[in-house]
Order: sequence, then C-alpha cells, then structure tokens
Amino acid sequence: MRNTLDKKTLSVLQQKISEGLMPQWVVTDPEIHQVEIEKIFGHTWQFLAHESELKEAGSYVTRWIVNDPVLLVRTNSGELKAFLNSCTHRGVHLCTADFGKKKTFTCPYHGWSFNLEGELIGIVAGDKVYGEEMDKSEWGLRPIPRLESYRGMIFANLDKNAMSLEDYLGDMKFYFDILLGRSDGGMEVRGVPQRWVANANWKALQENFSADPYHVQTNHRSTVEMGISPSDPLYASYGHQVILGHGHGINVITGANGRSKFPFQATPESMWPMFERNLSPEQYDLLSRTTVFVGGVFPNLSFVSPVHGTEGHLHNYLNFRVWRPLGPDKVEIWCWFMIDKAAPEDYKEAAYRGYIGSFGSSGTLEMDDTETWARIVQASKGIMSRDKELNYNNVSNYLMGFGRVEPDENFPGRGIAYPTTYLDAISRSLHEYWFELISKDLLDAGEEAK
Amino acid sequence: MNAELHYEISNFLYHEAYLLDHRQYKEWLDLLSEDLVYQMPIRVTSDNKDASNLVYEMKHFEETKKSLTTRVNRLYTTSAWVDNPATRQRHFVSNISVAPGSRPEEYRVRSYFLFKRSRASDIETEQLFGEREDVLRKENGEWKIASRTIYPDQAVLSVMNLGMFL
Ligand code: FES
Ligand SMILES: [Fe+2]
Repeated sequence: MRNTLDKKTLSVLQQKISEGLMPQWVVTDPEIHQVEIEKIFGHTWQFLAHESELKEAGSYVTRWIVNDPVLLVRTNSGELKAFLNSCTHRGVHLCTADFGKKKTFTCPYHGWSFNLEGELIGIVAGDKVYGEEMDKSEWGLRPIPRLESYRGMIFANLDKNAMSLEDYLGDMKFYFDILLGRSDGGMEVRGVPQRWVANANWKALQENFSADPYHVQTNHRSTVEMGISPSDPLYASYGHQVILGHGHGINVITGANGRSKFPFQATPESMWPMFERNLSPEQYDLLSRTTVFVGGVFPNLSFVSPVHGTEGHLHNYLNFRVWRPLGPDKVEIWCWFMIDKAAPEDYKEAAYRGYIGSFGSSGTLEMDDTETWARIVQASKGIMSRDKELNYNNVSNYLMGFGRVEPDENFPGRGIAYPTTYLDAISRSLHEYWFELISKDLLDAGEEAK
Repeated sequence: MNAELHYEISNFLYHEAYLLDHRQYKEWLDLLSEDLVYQMPIRVTSDNKDASNLVYEMKHFEETKKSLTTRVNRLYTTSAWVDNPATRQRHFVSNISVAPGSRPEEYRVRSYFLFKRSRASDIETEQLFGEREDVLRKENGEWKIASRTIYPDQAVLSVMNLGMFL
C-alpha cells in the first residue's frame, strides 16, 4: 500500500531539501508523478515551438503539454494562437500531423471543421440536425489559456492566472538575450525536432542539463580518451553556475583563466560586430569569454550552446530540448537544433554536422547521458530506495559546494553566480521550487485528511 | 537482375549484419567506400497521405566515413558507457531488391531492416525498423557501400539512443 503525500512526508521532504538532500523514492514515485503533472505542468510555462517553425499564415505545429494535445497555428493576420487539439463535438484528437499548412481543420469523426482562428465554421447537416438556433460560436476550439513568447520562444500556460512569461523567466531573459538575440534576425530552427523515448524521469534530465557539469568528466570521458575533450578533470568546472529563480539556472563555462580558448564560441569573426550591436556590454563581454552555456528553464526545457565538431573544425550551435513525461520512468525527448539566422551558410551546415555528432538522437555525448538517466530510474524503484517512511535515510547527495562556495559579487551577468560550475546550487534551487509547487495546498489538505 | 548477383549482394548484406552484431566495427568500416554518404532522415506524420513524410533538412544521422570512424573509435574506448556493458543486438535484413545504379559496377539495393537490442538484464527489448536504400559498388573486386539512406518507420524512435549502426 502506498502512503499518501501527507503533511508528515511533505515536511520531512522539505527538511531534507533544505539540507541539500533528496529522498531517492521521489524520482519514480507514481503519486509524486501525478502531483507533478497537475501542480507543476498545469501551472508553469511550457515551451511549444520557436517562431521560425511557423513561417506563414496557416502554418501549424502540434505539440503536447504532457497529456494535453496542443495545436499551435499562425492565423491569417500573422498572429499565433494555440488550442486544445481536440474536437469540441466528442473530443477527437483533431489534427494528428506533426506540422503543416492548412486553412481549416476537419474532424474525421462527424466532419466538424474549424478555421485558423479556432472558430467552428462547418457542421455537417448543421441546420437539419441541430436547428438554426445552434450557436456555432459556442463550440469553437478551446484556446490554451495563455500564450506568450520571448525572443521567438513560444510558451503556453494552462493556468490563466499564471504570472506573465517575462516575470516567470525573470533573470533568464538576460541569457536568452545572449543565446537568442545576439544575431540580426535571431535564431532559426533547422527542420523539425528529433524525437525519441528514454527510460528516464524528467527531473533527472532537467538536472543533467541545468545543473550538472560535474558529470562531464566521467560520463563523457570517451571524448577525453579520444583527445576531443581536454584531459584536465576540472575543464568543465571553470566559469560560473548561476541561480536564476523559479528553478531556472545556467552554467557559463569559460576556461581556467576565465576566458574561453574559443572567443565568441568559435563563431566567424565577421559576426562579432553584430553581437556587439545586439547585446549590452555585459552580455557581449560574457559571450566573448564563454565556451559553453548550458542550463534550463523549469520545469522541463533545457538547452546547451557548446562548441563542437566532428570533422576537425569547431562550431557553435544552440540545442533546445523538452522532456515530456510519459510516466514516472519514461520521457519523450524533443530536440531542436537552432542556429544564428545571420551566420554564413557553410558555417550553419558545419555546425549542424557538429550537432548530429555530439547531441541529439545519435549524438555521441548524448548517448552516454541516456545510459545514466536509465540507470537512475532503474535503481530508484525498490523498497529500500522508495523508503516512504524515510527510516533508511535513503537520500541522494546534493551537497557539492553547500556552505563552502560563496557567490561572486563581481560576475557581470544576472542572477546569483557562484565561481565554479562543479556545484549543486542550481539543483538545490530547482528542488526548492519543485517542492514549493508540489506542496501548494497539500500541506493543509494533508492535515484535513487525517 | 540475375540470380547470382542477387545472391552475392544478399550475402554481402548478411555479412555486414554479422559484423555489426558481433561488434566487429572496424571490420565493418572496411565495407564502406571512402566517399560514403550515410544518412537517416526523420520520419514525420504529415496531414496529407500523399505528401512526403520524410524530412531531410534535419536527420538522425548525417555521416561521412570520417565521422563514422570517429563513432567507431569511440566504441573502442573504455568509457563509451552506451556500449559498456555491451548491448546484445541483431540486425535482420530482408526483402532485398537489386537494380542497376547510375554507373557501371554500381547497384541500387533496397532492403527492409529490423533491429533488436537487449540491454543488461532488462526484459524489455528495444527495436527499430524500416527500409534502407543503398548504393553498392564493386571496387577492386570487393563490394563497398557507397551510400546508405535509412528510412525509419517511426516518427518517435523507441530506442534510448542511436548508438547502433543500421
Ligand atoms: S468528434 Fe469531431 S465531429 Fe464529432
Ligand atoms: Fe552530458
């Protein structure tokens, strides 16, 4: 029999998190998972698409917010609209294509059809079967309550009372400006996202990108053995780990002397004046010194902007991914390749090849990550690791740098920046926000249930 | 197409599958021509049954012999965890058809594939399936793969990663 998430369990959980620990059962617990879907994914901003995926009027993509199908369209006036991708007649999944261009969406069940504004425009035998008094305007597609974008990144929120996207992103905007706004015309998505499924829990993946450069030296050691990555075990630690609030975080990885060996992430020198024009002096300076930006927007959007190459030359690209939970131990990975619209075409092509070789479904760095992610859920389902009573004190360690590493006041970027990335500061802040959301209302409800 | 050629080419593909399944990746590399083009476009769900449902702009694999050599060399390091513990894998190849290529000594070869993989003590197996379109070429009396396009049948791949070669 499963325990409920009662007040006692929650307060122990809160206590552990404040000590830099995380009970291991939390990773795959089915009840926690259900609570996460409702309380986290139902109320936070969820990345749907980049605007370059919807170029013309009538362009659409279909996406998911966990189990809610979403239809995102560009209307005739050029506006973006998002709807629950479900026919208002009997709920049929309306558009099953991944993307395309259309003027109307017609349901295969009884033929109701909807325009790009989501309005019901056609009912088969409408007047005869419903009568003339049927008000079609009451049966339009249900809009996703909130749709907002920042720097071309389109997010949705199922909670109509949620804070604005800009407030939610907060200090992350400073880094989004660097990643997405450094070039004229911004970034563009190449093709479509790669999609595949891993036996993993979404939290572990978010942590892996947002918060864990420490794993690089061991998990990706094959690249060190091959002479592709530096042999200094601290190479991924140089730079800053930055806490950005709301569970967001970024690692700004530079070099042992605070400067990257590859100025401006090995982008063509001809692009640098453009970066200077589009960025603030602080942002420009940070970009000039950084090799890798890797981080995440809570709960399940991660990104990495590294320097890689498979053919001897090094290139930069921007990779965004969404971890869509399919269950406590299953994740559908969505992986977008983005590149500066203004970059030379041959650079874009080489960067794309660098991406394919390193990250994404066949990436040599990525595949060793997937192995680890699966091993975490594999070892977190047993009685001892579940440990609901917490008698075994079966907890995971998030103590790196805890109380030992102080923020660097001189860091030019936003957020609370610590002067190393081998640190669990982001993980801990992620856990704190995670707890804040899942425990909302439950602390009182748990009390009443007793 | 004569039966003997079909037999020869089929045997070549079975031999290739044997090398991959037995993790003889360096020997596998020897089957690839120097100018190899190796790619795996993305299968998508499109809204028109007659429209193409393959995307070539983004792929799962976009490889040259050099990049495949890097991938193979990595598997011989001590810390390519995706292959350590070693995966057990089978490449099933069927429905082979052979047509003349655009140059003499080159043939266009289509085949279906089913790939199965078992990891550690996991009782669930991973699989991939689809079709391949190869250009095979006879170079100095030896068959070489000059190009391979892998068409997966799934829009969302049900494998943890593409650590295998198809
Ligand atoms: S369910 Fe869509 S028309 Fe009936
Ligand atoms: Fe990694």
